[in-house]
Amino acid sequence: MRRRFDTATVVVAVPFLAFVGLFLFVPTIGLAIKAFTPGGSFGFSAMQRALEGTYRTAFINSLSLAVTSSLLGGVLGLLLALSLKSLTRPKWLRSTTDSWSAVAAQLGGIPLAFAFIAAIGTQGLITKLLSLVGVDIADSGFSLSEFWGLVVVYLYFQIPLMFLVMMPAVGGLKSTWGEAAAIMGSSPGRYWRSVALPLLVPSFLGGLLLLFVNSFAAYATAYVLNPGAQLVPLQIRFLLQGNVITGEQDLAYAIVLWTISLLLISLLLIAVLQRRTAKWASS
Amino acid sequence: MGIVVKILRTIFLVLLGLFFFVPLLAMARFAFQSVPVVLLTPEKLLEGWSLAGLFEVFGNPEFQRATLISLQLMVLAILITLVLLLPVAALVEIRAPQLRTAMTAITLLPWVVPPVALVVGVAATFRSTVPWFLASPYSLVPFYVLWALPFSYRALDAGLRSIGARTLYEAARVMGASTFTIIVRVIIPNMIGAIIAASVLTAALVLGEFAFAALLLKETLPTFMAEFQRSEPRAGMALALSVMLLTALIIWIGVRALRKRGMDLQAAGV
Repeated sequence: MRRRFDTATVVVAVPFLAFVGLFLFVPTIGLAIKAFTPGGSFGFSAMQRALEGTYRTAFINSLSLAVTSSLLGGVLGLLLALSLKSLTRPKWLRSTTDSWSAVAAQLGGIPLAFAFIAAIGTQGLITKLLSLVGVDIADSGFSLSEFWGLVVVYLYFQIPLMFLVMMPAVGGLKSTWGEAAAIMGSSPGRYWRSVALPLLVPSFLGGLLLLFVNSFAAYATAYVLNPGAQLVPLQIRFLLQGNVITGEQDLAYAIVLWTISLLLISLLLIAVLQRRTAKWASS
Repeated sequence: MGIVVKILRTIFLVLLGLFFFVPLLAMARFAFQSVPVVLLTPEKLLEGWSLAGLFEVFGNPEFQRATLISLQLMVLAILITLVLLLPVAALVEIRAPQLRTAMTAITLLPWVVPPVALVVGVAATFRSTVPWFLASPYSLVPFYVLWALPFSYRALDAGLRSIGARTLYEAARVMGASTFTIIVRVIIPNMIGAIIAASVLTAALVLGEFAFAALLLKETLPTFMAEFQRSEPRAGMALALSVMLLTALIIWIGVRALRKRGMDLQAAGV
């Protein structure tokens, strides 16, 4: 086995690594240094202040939003995958859902927010339809700019993403296993508890973390629906565009550093889960 | 399976279908029917439909400028992705497979530093050292290449593996071809599907990215869209719907390009 890398690989790898280094590592490390040197000297005051007061509220809100939309999207996405697995007809449904999920998982941002405003905003089509049958969306306390409104909009890309993550695992459940379990006298409930669920759980947990990463720092949708929301991405905007009061910039660095750490931990957990799954599958 | 489960499943699928379809329908109605929703009655359902809103946008000079910028960013991002990433992906696969884990990890890192986070770091480091760089709208290009990496690398990697790049390389090598010749004349022509997929996924990202461009005060199609909708709600909605459908079409082309060769894209990028 070749131990040293050959020249050609080095020649193409160096510009690529330099690119990632310059545009990803330099800004990130620069930011981390500034977060720990508030006002020019080393200290933890900025990192600490980033978790206090309104910023603490922002972190709690963003965490709740990401966790809620991930859990709901995760469960619904899993149910979608399971529903389609046992469904053989109509044939087009499966392939349409596959393609549509690949598309919808990437949709988001500005147009998606507009779509929901047109549907269930105060002047929305569904709002109007429901009012005809006597249901008043606004009166029920639901608003697109509030927590549950954002959750509903986020589900539009969270459900398809979970579907894409779960499809291989759900497809891997062989129908013969269920039959084998039944022949040996186990109830369907027992089959799900002892066979199917343990197989699905690692992918599901990995999927949840992925949905979390996907939604925590989502900016455009929240910005359109409620630019003043107490959410981490919008607080970052506020600090970045706001007046340069002394120390405010340091706060932005600290908030971003906390965010990056959170996402990094989630991604590392995903990697650990995947290694587990791979080991299990090969043994 | 019990009949109750079957009925519940059908209800679930129908509701989910409505959840995905109705917002698009509402958007289309708002954009192309000039009847305010308060005045909408069953008799008026077919009245006042026109594409005027969309044509109004097309004539807007600011829209044309923003679109041109976004198209340029898109082309540049795709070119840089292919020039920078394709050779590395190919050589790692055929000559240094022990580096594959490292490549997978590196190309996932942009996920950890999303646009709204990196923009703060970029402002902190580049604004003081190379202010001319951030002044140009083209400064967005490298960052868009970066955020597309989790998708573009996986698409290219899936392509390389499905064509058996290492075997092709060794076969061509035995026949005396140079590495450069092999990549240009053997590997690339065989993985056009994956190259298209990597390109269109990068394009979709450029067409949708808002946070980074907005916070650096650059006018691109998404930032124009957000501003424009405030003054021209109907035309803005028409534009948003068109961009959404265009993005959907672009991604669909990418997914098809991969699936044709029996590959699948882990849209998750993991």
